[in-house]
Amino acid sequence: MNVLLLKYGELFLKGGNRHLFEKALMNNIKIKLDGYDYKLINTQGRLVIQNYNESLEDEIVDRVAKVFGLIGICRAVEFDSSIDEIKSYVDTIRLEKGKSFKVSVNRADKAFPMISTEFSKILGEVIFNNNDNKVDLYNPDVTVNVDIRFNKKTYIYYKIEKCLGGLPYKTGGKGLLLLSGGIDSPVAGFMMAKRGVEIECLHFHSYPYTSLQAKEKVIKLAKELTAYCDRIKLHVISFTKIQEHIHMNCSSEFMITIMRRIMMRIAERICEKNGLGAIITGESLGQVASQTMQSMTVTNAVIENLPVFRPLVAFDKEDIIEISKQIGCFETSILPYEDCCTVFLPKNPVIKPTVQKAEYEESFLNLELLINEALQEEELIVIENK
Amino acid sequence: MIYLDNAATTPMFRDCLSEIEKYSCENFYNASAIYSKGFENFKLLDEQREKLKKKLGVKQGEIIFTSGATEANNLAILGTMRNGDNEYVFSMGEHPSVYNVARNLEEKGNKVKFVSLTEKGQVNYAELEASLSEKTRLISVMYVSNETGAKTDIKRINDIRKRVCPKAIFHVDGVQAFCKIELEIESAEVDVFTLSAHKFHGPKGVGALYVRDKKVLKNINFGGGQEFGYRSGTENLSGIMAMTCAMEKIDVKANYDKVKTLRQILVEVLSQDDSIKILDVEGSPYILSMSFSGVNGETLIRMLENDVVIGLGSACSSKKAGNRILESMSIDKSTIKSSVRISFNAYQTEDEIKDAGEKILSCYKDLKRRVS
Repeated sequence: MNVLLLKYGELFLKGGNRHLFEKALMNNIKIKLDGYDYKLINTQGRLVIQNYNESLEDEIVDRVAKVFGLIGICRAVEFDSSIDEIKSYVDTIRLEKGKSFKVSVNRADKAFPMISTEFSKILGEVIFNNNDNKVDLYNPDVTVNVDIRFNKKTYIYYKIEKCLGGLPYKTGGKGLLLLSGGIDSPVAGFMMAKRGVEIECLHFHSYPYTSLQAKEKVIKLAKELTAYCDRIKLHVISFTKIQEHIHMNCSSEFMITIMRRIMMRIAERICEKNGLGAIITGESLGQVASQTMQSMTVTNAVIENLPVFRPLVAFDKEDIIEISKQIGCFETSILPYEDCCTVFLPKNPVIKPTVQKAEYEESFLNLELLINEALQEEELIVIENK
Repeated sequence: MIYLDNAATTPMFRDCLSEIEKYSCENFYNASAIYSKGFENFKLLDEQREKLKKKLGVKQGEIIFTSGATEANNLAILGTMRNGDNEYVFSMGEHPSVYNVARNLEEKGNKVKFVSLTEKGQVNYAELEASLSEKTRLISVMYVSNETGAKTDIKRINDIRKRVCPKAIFHVDGVQAFCKIELEIESAEVDVFTLSAHKFHGPKGVGALYVRDKKVLKNINFGGGQEFGYRSGTENLSGIMAMTCAMEKIDVKANYDKVKTLRQILVEVLSQDDSIKILDVEGSPYILSMSFSGVNGETLIRMLENDVVIGLGSACSSKKAGNRILESMSIDKSTIKSSVRISFNAYQTEDEIKDAGEKILSCYKDLKRRVS
């Protein structure tokens, strides 16, 4: 029977909680395969998808490959763990001419009556006798993997299709991603989701200074992230009035610093209200004036209770772009619509702000009133992965 | 809401809707079919070609119906290009459906020249003349700029052509000119001319290419060989009928005078504020380009949109950053950023325009206060 053998990685490290992670992983696979017919079984260290429509195998592999926590998918053939059955299948293997090979037996089920090295040798000989191919134990073109599992089943496969790794989604708490519409923030969200963090997004827009298209672009980016996060809540806050007040009352070089401090305050309020445990941003050290160490310190100073995760802090732009392309967000991210950070952009933003100066500038604003008004008009958009 | 983005598209004449229904639901027969119902429609199409030629003011040549101006412009350029030592000359002010085809020709190794615009949005005629040679195969210019309203002197270009490269083909993109200004196609000896129905109250998805001598053209798509073999695809009879219906309703001269008055009214209202600069071009009254000092044009458009709809420039290129045409007129970046395009139709009232002008003024004042 053709099956998909799924390997998972770091879950092994989780000791007593391992079953919880496995359960979450299986649940995430089920969400990803909603609408498909199949059977999913857990065989201690491997998950197996069986009884699926083989004509849809590529589609299923594509969807499952986006489930965090898996490290590999193998298109395998399943047998009862009997020496004769395995041998008779191996007897049918015909290799492409000129390709070297090796047989690699993994005997997880120690009750199997032959040790791995001995069984590899026997199976290798069968293949060798039937084919005109060389054996190469160190750098083979083809590896015939024979995985003997505890469920008294054996899986034979040739290739491991690499998955994303990480931890199962929703096993690492919930975080609020500040989603601007640029290249970085979706990548930051992807990386935290990969560590199991359930993502909600927060977008600030400044209509009429920014366009409806800019907001649509952010909705599209969030939709693209649902390929990994299945369903995303997008909190949209109008930032227009706040920006106008900063512009009118504060020194222009502090525009961005004050904006970001207010964004952080709003983010923390939304987290508190919705039970989210962290704020996530796409900042990368030194990328722009507002992302210097001093700027980050001043921005962080307004957060009272939550961690701020910046998974891209040490990434070069090129590396971020590479991931953005891999996860399918790049094309949308580069659409030329202005985001609210480019409105009222000062010519010389302060590069080394201090908390004291920022607080002084903010003393000209009725922060509480502005933040409350913005929160009252919050728009919530739920984006499904359909 | 007052609509002042008629260069992007115009509202279709309601009276012409019945043509769509009639030729889609009742007399829907394929104009290329051999039975009589089909043949009658074929003849009907020919009648529309004649009507169009009359409106164009041409005595000879042929009309090839297309899906609109983009297709017509592509056919005009790609259909007239030939391998060999040829050169192609365009102005920098062209619509993307010409400009991007030209760029594509260039990328494929053809010799393409772009002629700059003057500060008043005109083709730089001296530079044009210097760009032409005996190798020039095609000259392509826009009659009325969709961004600024500047009108090209096509008779002057024809004089230059006759002097330097009499064999060159002369293409004019007349999308913003047809049914709007008095045309000089015949006297300027234009070889190929593009028009689009939805710019003169016709339906979207229909246009035409006029060609003086079909022999200069080659088809660029392949199929059933409709439109004399130059544009395969079942003829869009209902769209074509609605297009000519709209065309026949238009009195070009009367509309021109009316729009001139409307434009004057708006200019008078907006002149109350010195920081509004109207781009001074000699051209069509239908299009007005202006800048609102100190504010972003895009923001002004969005702030206004519940009361007055105005445009940024070519809607066909608004997905791209920057403004190639204003840049090529050497207009500074901050003026470009604060520029908008206002475009009229002749069926708007003077009161409406006055009201629109006052709304624009007050919105600008409000925005200036908020951003200054």
